This record gives sequence, structure tokens and C-alpha cells, in this order.
Amino acid sequence: MGDRDTTDFGYREVDRNEKAGLVGAVFDSVASRYDLMNDLMSGGIHRLWKRFTIELSAVRPGHTVLDIAGGTGDLAARFADLVGDEGTVVLADINESMLQVGRDKLLDTGRLDGIGFVQADAQYLPFPDDCFDCITIAFGLRNVTDKELALASMLRVIKPGGRLLVLEFSKPRSDLLGRLYDAYSFNVLPRLGRLVAGDADSYRYLAESIRVHPDQETLVEMMEDAGFSQCEYYDMTGGIVALHKGIKA
Amino acid sequence: MSRAVDPALQTAVLAALEGALNRALALSPRRGGELAPFAGQVFALHCTAPEIDVYLHPRDGGIRLTGVHDGPVTASLRGEAADFAQLARAADPAAALINGELELQGDSAPLLELQKVLSTIDIDWEAPLVAVLGDVAGHQLAQLLRGSFSWSREAARSLARQVGEYIHEEARLSPPRAELEDFCADVRELDERVNRLQSRSARLRRQLDKLRG
Repeated sequence: MGDRDTTDFGYREVDRNEKAGLVGAVFDSVASRYDLMNDLMSGGIHRLWKRFTIELSAVRPGHTVLDIAGGTGDLAARFADLVGDEGTVVLADINESMLQVGRDKLLDTGRLDGIGFVQADAQYLPFPDDCFDCITIAFGLRNVTDKELALASMLRVIKPGGRLLVLEFSKPRSDLLGRLYDAYSFNVLPRLGRLVAGDADSYRYLAESIRVHPDQETLVEMMEDAGFSQCEYYDMTGGIVALHKGIKA
Repeated sequence: MSRAVDPALQTAVLAALEGALNRALALSPRRGGELAPFAGQVFALHCTAPEIDVYLHPRDGGIRLTGVHDGPVTASLRGEAADFAQLARAADPAAALINGELELQGDSAPLLELQKVLSTIDIDWEAPLVAVLGDVAGHQLAQLLRGSFSWSREAARSLARQVGEYIHEEARLSPPRAELEDFCADVRELDERVNRLQSRSARLRRQLDKLRG
């Protein structure tokens, strides 16, 4: 992937330098209705996927946590409760609109102390080496232009013994579920996007980007190639979503 | 990594149970403060049939339930669902733990204390179910659950009473308490009479020896 001049943007091949801007436009468009759309699209199940991510994070009081592509702050809010007064949570997102919505939401719920907000590109994380106990990236990796570069950047900033959790759409395990999921993604999702967020194209991109994202085993290989140890994944909801875990040795 | 139960499904059940427990704790006289002594402790329940792991993280004011825990635990129990149900219902959890099929590792004392606290909580199923399923379906299901729980609680009480009556009155496998107390009183009285008779016969023997002498 690193040798190519083009990269995927849904089913389209675009210039590598264009993808970040195109993805940025998608999230600028949906930021204000992002939470509502997540609830509608997944029937609320995205909350369970995130809850399991929190469980697997093993975050404890005093830990330092980075939530990349943290969007509207669902994970960061929960991490802030877990790390307590002695810990720190950094909510990072490349998109200013999403970061703004996330910051407003966390401030509205009274969470001020111990949370930092950073506009950052996952490929070039602006943090020192070995500084986070845990990094999470939920539904963000598939939007990154160079995933290998992003994984290497995450490995650099995780402490030895720390863990990376990648929550991402993946490949359904059964053909029947896969067909139902395809029908839903390409027929229902764009219509839902047009009705609620006034933007069908962004949700068409969402469906397409999920299809071109690496499947479970491929992502494990990518994490191992980046240098993570003990890589494994957990299929959720029949493999529609997978949670990958890797440890920095 | 393949798991017996889809993590999303297990998480849904744990989230609903955790919500119900915390609501019940919030309404308890000490508003969940009874769990404060357990803060920082983790209790693991490893169910082998069906294969499910549950970790209890009590703290002041509430409890957190997770399906995964990466770290030391205070105590862990391993066994089948029926064994856990037996412990949860037991009037004497310590005896049930010693005599039951569950395999215990770690410190049993705080585990038994926690069981005692949690067994006193009356769970309101309606709020978490309404939050998940909406007013109509949530209310109906909560009523069904409440009915089943109160029925099963009453049924368990009634069963215990009837089994007791059968053992005592019908099968005569064990005497009723009053009968046993009467029997013990009779044994005590007989014991006293035998002692008195023994003293009297000793006195007579001494008088007889004196007359012969």
C-alpha cells in the first residue's frame, strides 16, 4: 500500500494526497448528526461494541489513554471515568468538526479535568515515544490514507506492555448475514443518511469503505508487521464488527 | 478469536443487568454505600455451561459488570449455571459453597459478604428494559420478568416448606422440631432418673456393707 500513488476512497481510487480531504468533507458533513446516525444505523448496537472495547482495554485508575479518531467522545468519556483523577485521556481526531462536537459533548456532561483534545493525524501522532498505556481507534482506521504508517505511529507512542485496540467494521462470518448486510448497507443506509443527515453520499462512502477495509486476518497480519505482539481479534455481531488487540512488547 | 457467546450479546446482557443492579442499589437505604468495603476488589464467575465469564467490580455506590478482566481477582468461582443459581438462592451461602459443586479459588470471605449484600437487593427490571426496548415492549417484558421472579421466589419458598413437611410428616425421614425437643427432654429426664437411681443404689450398698460389717 505504501508504494502506490493512489489509495481507496470507498470503491474509487483517488490520489493519496486527496483522501484526507475527501474523508474530511464526509465528516464535516455528518458531524452534527453523527451520534444520532450511529444509533439509527446500528440500532444502538454500536454502544455494545464500544462497551466491549472498554472492557478489553484493561484501563485502570492512573492510566494514560489516547482515543484516536475519537469523534464525539463516546470512548473518551468512559475512559475519563476509569482513569480517575490521577489518569489522563487524550481525545484526538483529524477532523475539526468532529473534535468540536466531541469537546462540546464532554464539556456538557461536566467532564473537564484529565481530558485533552488534540487535532492530530493518526499517521503522524504528535506525542513522545512510549507515553500511552492504551490506544483505541474506533471506526477510524479505514478512513486513514496509509494504515501501515498509522499503525507504526501508534506503536511508537504506546508504552512497552501497553495495548492497541482497533474497533472496526469487518467481514461477516456467514454468507447469509453478509448478503443481508450488503442489502442494508447499500439500500437502507444512504436513504437514512439523506433523511436524517441530509447527505446520502457520505453514507454511501461509509458502506463502500467498509467493503474495501482489510478483513480480520489481514488486519492481524498488518498489526504484526507493524511490530505488535500477541495480536488477536474478537468478532462481534457475526463479524460485522471486529475488535483487534495488539500489545507492544 | 472465537467465543461461545457473541461479545456484543454478552455485553448487552451484562449492561442490562448492571443497569438494573445499580438502579436497585441507588434506591437502597445506603444508596449503594454497602458496596464501599469491596472497592478495588474483583470477583470472577466462570460459568462452564453455558460458557460465560462475568467479572464483578463493586465500588462505593454501585457495581460494574464486565465479560473480560485482565488482572488479579480477589476470588473466582467456576461451575455450571445451576451451581451458581443454587449458591445465589442458598439461605446459608457458606454451607452451599462448601458442600456445592462450585470450585473456589482465592478469598471466600469477601465473596460471601458480597453475595449477602446483593441477595437483599430487589431489582427493578422496568427502567433498563424500557431504555432498551421502549415503553410498551419494555413494560410488558418487565411485568413478565417481575411476575416470573416473584412467582419463582414464592415457588421456591413454598417448595422448601412442602419438602420440609413431606420429610417430617409424610415420609417420617426426620422428626419435626417439637417432637425432637420432646424426645431430647425425655432423654434428659431419663438421664437424671438414672443418675438418681445410681446414687440411691450406691447409698443402699453402703448401708448393706455397714450392716454386714
